[in-house]
Amino acid sequence: MRIVIGVGNPFRSDDAAGLEVARRLTNVTAYESSLGGFELMDLWQGADEVVIVDAMHSKSEPGTIRVYNPLDQPLPTATFASSHAIGVAETIEMARRLGRLPARLSVYGIEAETLTSGTTVSPAVAAAVERVVEELDHA
Amino acid sequence: MSAEREIAVDYLARVEGEGAMYLRLKDDEVLDLQFKIFEPPRFFEAFLRGRRFQEAPDITARICGICPVAYQTSACNAMEHAADVILPAELLDLRRILYCGEWIESHGLHVYFLHAPDFLGYESGIAMAGDHPDRVKAGLRLKKLGNHIMTVLGGREIHPINVKVGGFYRTPATEELQALVPELEWALQAAIDTASWVAGFPFPEFERDYEYVAVRHPDRYGVEDGRIISNRGIDIAPEQWREVFEESHVAWSNALHAHVKERGSYHVGPMARYSLNFEQLTPLAQKAALDSGLGPTCSNPFRSIVVRAVEIVFAIEEILSIIDRYRRPAAPAVPVVADGRIGHGVSEAPRGILYHRYEIDDAGLISDAQIVPPTSQNQLSIEDDLRHFVPPHAHLEDKDLQWQLEQAIRNYDPCISCATHFLDLTVERET
Repeated sequence: MRIVIGVGNPFRSDDAAGLEVARRLTNVTAYESSLGGFELMDLWQGADEVVIVDAMHSKSEPGTIRVYNPLDQPLPTATFASSHAIGVAETIEMARRLGRLPARLSVYGIEAETLTSGTTVSPAVAAAVERVVEELDHA
Repeated sequence: MSAEREIAVDYLARVEGEGAMYLRLKDDEVLDLQFKIFEPPRFFEAFLRGRRFQEAPDITARICGICPVAYQTSACNAMEHAADVILPAELLDLRRILYCGEWIESHGLHVYFLHAPDFLGYESGIAMAGDHPDRVKAGLRLKKLGNHIMTVLGGREIHPINVKVGGFYRTPATEELQALVPELEWALQAAIDTASWVAGFPFPEFERDYEYVAVRHPDRYGVEDGRIISNRGIDIAPEQWREVFEESHVAWSNALHAHVKERGSYHVGPMARYSLNFEQLTPLAQKAALDSGLGPTCSNPFRSIVVRAVEIVFAIEEILSIIDRYRRPAAPAVPVVADGRIGHGVSEAPRGILYHRYEIDDAGLISDAQIVPPTSQNQLSIEDDLRHFVPPHAHLEDKDLQWQLEQAIRNYDPCISCATHFLDLTVERET
């Protein structure tokens, strides 16, 4: 089974990019996670293929989409920093050590423009959300 | 002639929130020492003004994602005390289960992922997981159980939505609580094993003569309500808090320092609760403590990890015994009218006493709020610990001394986000 997990804080503007993707998907099982911590391991338990979508800040153009394969090498932690101590990158490393990584795993990063308080995403990020939805819904 | 040394930790790891530590010493003499909280202030006490008194539990819960139940409970207590309402025993039992769930979740996180790596020489819980996968799996499962209990009682695992002044919106059916029992039974043994595991860690020889302050309940281990007592004679109702304690501002911290008037620092949290209320712990928790080499009191802060493990045993045993006698209450809540009153509430957050005080106007709106979280109260004690710890350990290399000092701070499981909820911000300008 293939699942998508959108990660983000719904009150931090573009940080919600992953959640927006999860909400829009219609052809694949999708979960929203506002924590993005160790609970991810429970969400992906039993899935063969897992796609995580999260906002990133890597000093790229807002709306840039980058796909990572963390089975090969750890995610860059500065790019996927969490407002809480344990985020996507840390959870993947924990799962690697506990033997709880899914057989296939990819992480879509969507470059954020602003992470300030707010409940809407900026236009560049909204466009990227649509592109990622298109790709994942028809994969 | 020896030179001065400086040890500065700009960003403390494995604490909740943003803090730093600065130490300047010459030989074994501490010249300057600061436990700095630089996370920005969050102004919660000001947000509360003008809000209805019924909103305080949900607003203050947002101060912390680790201990929201503590905020909800102290706020409910304040409003209920203001209205002279005492909840029926069954509703207090449910509040206690919810609160114990939070202890399991918070202590589980700290024991396994924040504190154990210090003793075993790992930089993080993740690094530790490679060598101790079964321990880490057990820690994750315990923490998940705590979160699950909060979901069953509170509607969701963080910032519960089912708590209200006067009780709950909905009470669980007997079967919903019974369904928790098998996992709780696994957890009880896992917690006992945890206590025995952490008891074998290497602890620095270090004892302090603390003034311990904790909530005391007449007939059970103080968690969700009670009086405030200390080992130096304090024995007061929550409404007397301001007669005994006061808060002050220091330049290097965005959290107010609390102290006993005309006496100074005091210590809240697991070690205080344990040392003041040991005889009220459940039987298996007492046994786990004694088997772990603790006496009926504990004054080595590095052993707080053992005390937390013992409190996990207690919390599980307590929930099991409440579930055993549970009958679904006739009503999920009782009416509370606090208009025109002043209310004070305390409870034992995982990190120690959390005090709330509210003034409520005749229309039922909050006109003044004061919130004193445990980490604010422990700041002076943390600094005192460091000041006492440094001289006998000054011979250590900087990096080894720094490691142990950071560990000494994590003994308190400090929650810096909680501590910086405060109102007053002092800005100094030079002209």
